[in-house]
Amino acid sequence: MTRPRRTDGPPDRRPPHGSPRPSRRHFVLALPAALLATGCAAPHRGTGRPGDPIVLTLLSHYASGELKEALRGPVDEWNATHDRVKVRTTAVEFTDLLTTFMVRQAAGQGADILHPYCLWNGQLVRAGVLRPAPAEHAEEIRRGYSAAAVGAASVGGRVYGYPTELQTYALYYNKRLLRAAGVDGPPRTWRELEETAYRTTRRDRYGNTLVQGFGLSTYDDSTTVGQTLALLNAAGGAFVSADGRSTGIDSPAGRAVFGLEDRLVARGASCPGVNVYRAFPSGQVAMVISAGWWTGSLRSQMGADYRDVGVAPLPLPEAGGTRATLCTGFMLGVNTASRHPREAWEFLRWLNTERTAAGKGAVATRMSALQVSAGSLTGRADDMRALLGAGGGKGAARDPNLRPFLDALAYAVPEPNVPGAQRAKSLLRTNIEALWTGRRSVEEALRLTRRQVDQEVARAW
Amino acid sequence: MVNALVPETAERTPRARAVRSAVAGRVRHRRRQTVVAYLFLAPVLLFFAVFLLLPLGFALLLSTSRWSGFALGDIEPAGLDNFTGLFADGSTFLTPILTNTLLFALGTVALALTGSVLVATCIDRLRFQGVWRTLYFLPIVTTVVAVGNVWKYMYEPGGLVNGVLNAVGLDSVAFLADPDTALPSVVVVQAWASLGSAVLVLTAGLKSVPESYYEAAALDGAGPVTVFRRITLPLLRPSLLFVCVTQFLTGLQSFALITVMTRGGPGDATDVAALEMYRLAFGYGDWGTASAAAFVLFAVVLAITLAQLWWFRRTGEDA
Repeated sequence: MTRPRRTDGPPDRRPPHGSPRPSRRHFVLALPAALLATGCAAPHRGTGRPGDPIVLTLLSHYASGELKEALRGPVDEWNATHDRVKVRTTAVEFTDLLTTFMVRQAAGQGADILHPYCLWNGQLVRAGVLRPAPAEHAEEIRRGYSAAAVGAASVGGRVYGYPTELQTYALYYNKRLLRAAGVDGPPRTWRELEETAYRTTRRDRYGNTLVQGFGLSTYDDSTTVGQTLALLNAAGGAFVSADGRSTGIDSPAGRAVFGLEDRLVARGASCPGVNVYRAFPSGQVAMVISAGWWTGSLRSQMGADYRDVGVAPLPLPEAGGTRATLCTGFMLGVNTASRHPREAWEFLRWLNTERTAAGKGAVATRMSALQVSAGSLTGRADDMRALLGAGGGKGAARDPNLRPFLDALAYAVPEPNVPGAQRAKSLLRTNIEALWTGRRSVEEALRLTRRQVDQEVARAW
Repeated sequence: MVNALVPETAERTPRARAVRSAVAGRVRHRRRQTVVAYLFLAPVLLFFAVFLLLPLGFALLLSTSRWSGFALGDIEPAGLDNFTGLFADGSTFLTPILTNTLLFALGTVALALTGSVLVATCIDRLRFQGVWRTLYFLPIVTTVVAVGNVWKYMYEPGGLVNGVLNAVGLDSVAFLADPDTALPSVVVVQAWASLGSAVLVLTAGLKSVPESYYEAAALDGAGPVTVFRRITLPLLRPSLLFVCVTQFLTGLQSFALITVMTRGGPGDATDVAALEMYRLAFGYGDWGTASAAAFVLFAVVLAITLAQLWWFRRTGEDA
């Protein structure tokens, strides 16, 4: 028996062959999807027509100042000499760099070439953003750069990019303040450091600090965590274990560093609330540990007074110990989402390994010349020696204060960059500040840092 | 043969057909009107969908997931782990972060409310009220970054505040460097910055109090304190409720001022929920925990707002 045809209701609008026509519900579901798809559409990267050039995008933090100008030179040179592959640079401020990576990657608009701070490498590798360097590039990087630079650009022993600027830490001191306190030269041991700090400290009758003997400052990560980790490395310690899954701060070396800082604050030689970046150029800090990039800022800020600034290797806990210090850095890597990885790696090789005449008879890679011209260093010790020896650059290369940073390339320890490193660094900073402000004792701060960092680092893997 | 006793069915009579047609016409017309109404509403609905519902739904999804923030395909379900993690042993979210948030909001409301009632009452008795209101409103049109930086310099060891303290023979105070004074110091700035809007609302409220009440009170010999307590404050209650609720909401979600002045430090003395959420998401790539924290903060904000409304309603003010 056949089913009678319905005649009283609305006609059956279903098309034949069982394929339903789009209903209002489908439209409601399709609209946001279409919007998302439109928003996430790939950016313009060349026309894609045969014969048209490939356009590689490079996202960095060289948004202003000397570095922006310095990067433009080699990029323009590449674009003028290469017809098939062009490079277009985009820059954001450093504070927005990680956020920009994140947002663009999630929107499907990640740049082909990324320029991350090496601390983020673990996070970026775990999120599948960074592409491992091809074997021939990895080999070239291992061969051409210092161990610290290679370590900073690697995660789990695998190289992910070409190291660019590298910052080692050393001791800045004010020669005039040391002389006034009857101290001949920079301290070489922690004991000398403490004595010099106490001798140079001066306060007024209301307790306002006139001169800090040793500049411990809560101003930023560099002044808080950077110098603590530099001292930890100098004491033979490590913040993160070799396997990257736990912290080594709760150790005799960590105890020694926290103890030293605690004494300096408790006895008034350090005033953590003061912005050391303003206080040191004003002659209100006798000694402070910081990275090499600061020499350029100090030169321009202090003018003629810069002659009072000296830089020495980091003091060691005991005389005759093995030298070590912290180094932080950036690298240029290739995005996993890049459609032209081969071309991107080729550009990076050209920028970072091909040597050209860099002026005054020096031969160096374009990146090394670029960094030295802006008062920074790379992990290529031979390039640095050639460039600093040649006296090129805008005053930077003639600065003897850069030498200790260059020498430190040989023994510097890279900043840990495991997944969760940024979080671990923040937790360390919180606990260091709690120690400096007397909220926690040395033992409490060490114990709490270990517990919190271990928990976070384990979560991140 | 036609049976005259059988009543005609509704379908058969012309009148019934006309009625049916009219009803169908009205339905069609109403449907058309509905479609047109929705077309007019579409931009607003789309706006809400894109900027409210979509992010809300996405945040809800993330709060029960693990996501590093880089690729949408990497979102992994995590159940309630993010929420339990926030309150797990060793987590700093409850103490000090949520505690700091509540203290910050409470301190801001208390200071701003007291200050604005005093200032508004004074302005109400002065000449050139517009000028005074404008002066007190000025901090509102100043950017938080500028306000934060100016106060930061004033609080520094060699700054204006310590200069005044030293001038009267007192020792310097490390306002932002001491964990015990950092949060109250920032609270003062937030209260100062939000005083203008509160004063504006309260002066408008004072204008609506009938003058006859004050005249009657004067005839009865009531003093200024009694007049303030028995007439001004009770009649200001709707304005006070508005100021209280909005200031609390602002305080609980505060982010920019703390970022500029202390970045949550020293240690975690001024770390608040909004700042921590930002760091978790954009700094550490832990979007799941950040979203879970956002929902916890939402629950806290909702509970406190409802409690305020309930309290004011209980004391006779209809919100």
